[in-house]
Amino acid sequence: MAAVPEPDEPAKRKPFKLLGILDVENIPCARDSILYGSLGSVVAGFGHFLLTSRIRRSCDVGVGGFILVTLGCWFHCRYNYAKQKIQQRITRQGMKNKLLYEGTHLDPERKQNNGNSSN
Amino acid sequence: MAAPAQLGLQNAASPIMEELIAFHDHALMIIFLISSLVLYIISLMLTTKLTHTSTMNAQEIEMIWTILPAMILIMIALPSLRILYMTDEFNKPYLTLKAIGHQWYWSYEYSDYEDLAFDSYIMPTYFLEPGEFRLLEVDNRTTLPMEADIRVLISSQDVLHSWAVPSLGVKTDAIPGRLNQAMVASMRPGLYYGQCSEICGSNHSFMPIVLEFIYFQDFEVWASYLYIV
Repeated sequence: MAAVPEPDEPAKRKPFKLLGILDVENIPCARDSILYGSLGSVVAGFGHFLLTSRIRRSCDVGVGGFILVTLGCWFHCRYNYAKQKIQQRITRQGMKNKLLYEGTHLDPERKQNNGNSSN
Repeated sequence: MAAPAQLGLQNAASPIMEELIAFHDHALMIIFLISSLVLYIISLMLTTKLTHTSTMNAQEIEMIWTILPAMILIMIALPSLRILYMTDEFNKPYLTLKAIGHQWYWSYEYSDYEDLAFDSYIMPTYFLEPGEFRLLEVDNRTTLPMEADIRVLISSQDVLHSWAVPSLGVKTDAIPGRLNQAMVASMRPGLYYGQCSEICGSNHSFMPIVLEFIYFQDFEVWASYLYIV
């Protein structure tokens, strides 16, 4: 929700968007993917140039490397981010259930302990 | 609700909206990479001295620019369809709410409770308290329990309207003579604002929606209070 900024708070600056569309500050994994992509682009392009001394082709390889590395890092990071979010949700739900049901007949730890003791 | 001059999506209050935001990020990254590639190709074309005016065929490039866009479209379509089917899942709802569009207000009916219905008009600007939002506040907020699946049946009494709450990722047309169903679930308490999203006359911009999500026990107290009143 929007809130009127307090006088002591610093003014919120406009978020920086690559090509005017990609908000790298607020989209999870965007900043890392772009940075790794840039690094991959420089390594691939410069490496190709050192091997072949062809400038235009090295630029093409650099752009191709940027796209591939960015995409690869993006999918890898988003996959891990999604797994983390699911884990956080499960943990939060587990903590809430423990608080709610501790000491009652629905307490999952009590059921588990009863199962272990009967074995 | 949105911050002043906000262009991006609002913070998610429901799991569906979280998925929509993730999909939006995914599609935006693909769009960004395609735009970068196109800009680079344009710069190449503008700086080359080579010309070839008698090209007859170019099988390799034709293959690339057919297969690559097809793969990109599949990469976009699969998560999109996943979310589409997710929005159509209907778990057993805790509560059913009817939202009926009128010119120019919304009326809500809680059919699970007897005689629990009210109209929700926009709060005129001169009645606003300090801190309240112009053109977004209503006289009677729609109170709902949080962390519960709520079925919303949306219809209209006169012309087309649309019941939309961006934070929850819901936008459903209110069509006279038809009942549309939407599922709504908020993960946290709070106020979620929306506005009518289908042109419906002169006061189309002045029929907002405010959902107030509260804890279960508070909701039961609120519902019983309305009975007494």
